[in-house]
Amino acid sequence: MQPADFTKQAPNIVVWALLLTMPFWLSHVGGYTELGSQVVVLGLAALGLNFLLGYTGVLSFGHAAYFGLGAYGAGMTLRYLLPSTGMGIIIGTLIGTIAGAIIGPLIIRLRGVYFAMVTIAFGQVFYFIAFRWSSVTGGDDGLTGWTRLPLHLGFTTIDIQNNPVAFYYFVLVMFAIAVGIMAWLLRSPFGRTLIAIRENERRSRFLGIPIDQHIWISWVISCAVVSLAGALFALLNNFVDPRALYWTQSGDFVIMAVLGGMRSFWGPLIGAAIYVVLRDYLSSMTENWESFIGLFFVLVVLFFPRGVLGIITRKVKS
Amino acid sequence: MSSESFSIKLDRRALIKTAAAVGVAQIASPFVITARAADTVKIGLDNPLTGTYAALGKNELIGAKLALEHINAKGGILGRKVELLVEDSTSGDAGTAVQKARKLIDRDKVDFLVGNINSALAQAIANVAYEKKVFHVVPGGHTDSVTGSNCHWNVFRICNTTQMEASAVASSLIKNAGKKWYYLTPDYAFGHTLQAGLEKAAAKLGGTKVGGDLTPLGTTDYSSYLIKAQAAKPDVIIFLQAGDDAVNALKQAVQFGLNKKFHLAGAQQELEVLLGLPPEARIGTWVFEWYWNQPNVPHVKEFVAEIRKASGGHVPTARTWFGYAAISTCAIAAQQVKSLDAVKMAKAMQGFKLPPEIALMPDGAYFRKGQGQLIPDLFVGQAQSKGASDPEDLFKVSDVVKGESVAESLAETGCKQTWPS
Repeated sequence: MQPADFTKQAPNIVVWALLLTMPFWLSHVGGYTELGSQVVVLGLAALGLNFLLGYTGVLSFGHAAYFGLGAYGAGMTLRYLLPSTGMGIIIGTLIGTIAGAIIGPLIIRLRGVYFAMVTIAFGQVFYFIAFRWSSVTGGDDGLTGWTRLPLHLGFTTIDIQNNPVAFYYFVLVMFAIAVGIMAWLLRSPFGRTLIAIRENERRSRFLGIPIDQHIWISWVISCAVVSLAGALFALLNNFVDPRALYWTQSGDFVIMAVLGGMRSFWGPLIGAAIYVVLRDYLSSMTENWESFIGLFFVLVVLFFPRGVLGIITRKVKS
Repeated sequence: MSSESFSIKLDRRALIKTAAAVGVAQIASPFVITARAADTVKIGLDNPLTGTYAALGKNELIGAKLALEHINAKGGILGRKVELLVEDSTSGDAGTAVQKARKLIDRDKVDFLVGNINSALAQAIANVAYEKKVFHVVPGGHTDSVTGSNCHWNVFRICNTTQMEASAVASSLIKNAGKKWYYLTPDYAFGHTLQAGLEKAAAKLGGTKVGGDLTPLGTTDYSSYLIKAQAAKPDVIIFLQAGDDAVNALKQAVQFGLNKKFHLAGAQQELEVLLGLPPEARIGTWVFEWYWNQPNVPHVKEFVAEIRKASGGHVPTARTWFGYAAISTCAIAAQQVKSLDAVKMAKAMQGFKLPPEIALMPDGAYFRKGQGQLIPDLFVGQAQSKGASDPEDLFKVSDVVKGESVAESLAETGCKQTWPS
């Protein structure tokens, strides 16, 4: 391996080493396995959002809709259709992705704040459906009466229901697949085109790039990843409620991406880790925990506009 | 920004710094396990401290802390000191409440879980406690299903079911206010079952529903709902909101002058709400679940005095008592069987009658066998704008209703417990 390759790969190696060994060291620093799973799941959602935000330059404030659709899809599959965790994930992800694919063409022509507003509007539609349709979704009480089930792989059974470490690794495998696909796409000419659109849309259009199609594809991929994260989130809690679809949840994803650094691949994961851990810790200390998270976010945006990872990268370059 | 920035270019120093940053994010993130003595018994309280139910949650916390003090003064549970771990569940975010419950159980390894005020959150965390086989006491979430269709062997509840509250107050409402009712109901589990209970109880007495609206939890502006209610020309506008929602709804109803045209009343009412209202809005027939001014009941005076000391002069509310009784129940359960085994403790509490210094009501209170529901007295009466003896004496009890006489039979509740083998 060339030294240059090594430095390029170094962040990947560090991140994966930390993720793979998380259950072994997390409890020694005072965490617990389900917190680790939460970081990975919300990190995946933030990475999915960042595919659109960081690499295509389009700000969506409505991704909670697809996160929640994935969550309700998984939960309702297990509750009403069939007792299979795998099918729950597949159906949840499909529902979120299809919804994204259908809504996409209606909004891809919009830019900037208009795009963000319309994504919020569509997100709220799904929130109110989940909130009002109590007989099916459980309304504000949330969808209960189901749990994730052990995974039957034919040759062996993995007990992700009762063993939190097994569930963590199951989540990590899903995470790896989704992140792998995103990284591969970003490396392809398609990914380079997305970055070209982000940098200068008009110029890209003059070069003959079909901008709207590219943004639509990026949007759908982003929705797919976020809805996968939503399905995993439902399984993690054995519970879904309409707040998973609420616009503030979308805001949380944006905060995670910006906090960690939306121009670096792993930034949103770091952002999610900081956000989740900070929330978990502060909310035990003070009832005003949200103010502290807000303050932290303001400080990061003011002083480290490229996020936590961004500032490290820039310092090293200079 | 150049397109290069997309690939992360780091040298070795940067690598170390990145690793350090990640490490710091984890370690400095101050999970600092505060050297908790391993031999304490832990009770986790997963209850609202922010939002619509913040005032109620804080009073439950005051009661819980007093119970804790009493338990530790008597030597703790099984000779071990008792520790209360408090988490803010928020007032309406079930996802957060569930995560907090898991955190208390998985990380802090609590022996008892207590919570929640919001019915939906109470049900959600009861399911978590059931999954994890933890002894769980619900202090103040009223919806029927918690000890009804969705009851569990490990879940006990201090406050009444919405059905009991509705049955207790319905006849007084019809007598004092009239038969045509219009409902303003919070749109979640608590409101749904409370309204259903009232409709059922009213129907038996000839009361009818002339309309109603579901209001989302945390609504601050009730004007559109009130205008609709006025147009329906009922005898009574029934307010089923709790916490800050009830304060806002009643305050606005009085500002609109609706109290001059209709009776404003409801089912469950709480001292926190009456205290939050202007004097002219302290009206109507209601049911209280516990009241501090019970001159002839032993131990109540002492309890009131102790709470006054702990809360800066304020009297205990039903919530304070819920918190107190919930934590006391945990200690009693452990002492009954000399063990912290959840199954053994839950078995011992079936049909258990709370001692008078904890029950603090004329006829006492007991946990019904096979359901985990506490059957206490209910206090029906009228709100009053000014207390005669005390500025916080804002409720005039006209009738003490025995819980037994208003509770559905065990079969009617639909509760079927399956015990772990």
